[in-house]
Amino acid sequence: MIAAALAAYAVFATTLLPRLLVRAQWSDRAPRLAISLWLAACGSAIASASLAAVATAVPTDTIGHELAGLIEACFAMLDNEFDPAAMSIGGWLALLAAALIVIRAASGVGTVLIAAHRERRRHAAMLRLLGRRDSELGAIVLDYDEPLVYCLPGRHAKKVITTAALRSLAPAYVAAVLAHEQAHLRGRHHLVLAVAEGLSRAFPRLSLFAKAKKEIIRLVELHADDVAARHHPRIHIAAALVSLATSRAPAFVLGAGGETALARIRRMLHPATPLRRREKLTGMAAVGMLLVGPAAVALLPGLSALVAHHCHNLFLL
Amino acid sequence: MVRALGDLESTIMDRLWSYHRPSSVRHVLEDLRRDREIAYTTVMTVMDKLYKKGLLRRQPQGKAYIYEPLITKEAYTAQQMRESLARSGNQAATLAHFLERLNPEESKALAAALQVFPLPGRES
Repeated sequence: MIAAALAAYAVFATTLLPRLLVRAQWSDRAPRLAISLWLAACGSAIASASLAAVATAVPTDTIGHELAGLIEACFAMLDNEFDPAAMSIGGWLALLAAALIVIRAASGVGTVLIAAHRERRRHAAMLRLLGRRDSELGAIVLDYDEPLVYCLPGRHAKKVITTAALRSLAPAYVAAVLAHEQAHLRGRHHLVLAVAEGLSRAFPRLSLFAKAKKEIIRLVELHADDVAARHHPRIHIAAALVSLATSRAPAFVLGAGGETALARIRRMLHPATPLRRREKLTGMAAVGMLLVGPAAVALLPGLSALVAHHCHNLFLL
Repeated sequence: MVRALGDLESTIMDRLWSYHRPSSVRHVLEDLRRDREIAYTTVMTVMDKLYKKGLLRRQPQGKAYIYEPLITKEAYTAQQMRESLARSGNQAATLAHFLERLNPEESKALAAALQVFPLPGRES
């Protein structure tokens, strides 16, 4: 019963939920909340799927005794009284499935993190050789004829701006763009992106993770723009974006359209009102529900059964 | 120490790139000594390392080697940037988001949007 409910939710989370989230109009007004919601949705899908498998495996005679049953099984195992043979093959397979889901997710994210770390180290070594530190800008200046501004996250995080970008941007715009990069670094956006990327690689067929990745890539930009806009005029951020996005494309960049760039420029020029308090609270409640929902569904009946059983015993004592 | 060696690598590469001709360790050393106190063996070690990294090529001349950058600084930068950023499939590595370029249609739409908000000029 519990297993079925969790499995049904997992199916919902991987099919219908992303469609609902993509349609959310408010996400551009509260990008950080939207990022949390996407991550929570991914987490809840993985949690519900693996918990559904665990709930199938744990032997229960009566519905609603999951936790009690689990705890008894654990105690039995500690007492060496647990007989693995007592668990059905189906049970073992279900447990294996639960473990596989979790391992797959973790290894997907881990692989991306390791590759990114290696790549960043290589790039940092190259910057040490070719770049020069500009303490006034607080960035590494790289002698290069493509106007680029980016950041290199990690322990020795740095912002990088090419000489071509410095030439094409007015000083106030440079400051605005660097504030945007600083927001990426402070927000640890590379970790958020690594999780999104890792999960989409681990479960390539599930649209939830593909959509989450696509949206999160867009949303971290919007969030960084908003943070930069706290200390810099929005018009400067927009102007810098226009300048960087209309310059000659680097030869090696595949002809990607400027869909996000366009949306960002428009958004900087016509700021939407941020979410009202009540809307924000609703969003946070949704994040919370997604995160604890599957666990609560899996544990609550067991918990109530446990309380019913053992409190009854307490009363008897 | 590692940091200092990294800086020295960068300094030596910059010198070698500026010469536009092959140079011996002795020549680089004399150049560097105009700014700082530095030992011959230090310079030799760093240049040997740069050779092993594939940044310099060398050929024997007399008892020592003469060194020369394999490619120009511009070409090396371009090659490194291409390698780092073309693989931006890995968004988590370098956050290079200003790579997007507007197509003509988008530029037109943008021009319309900007007419409402005239951008401050470069002189601002």
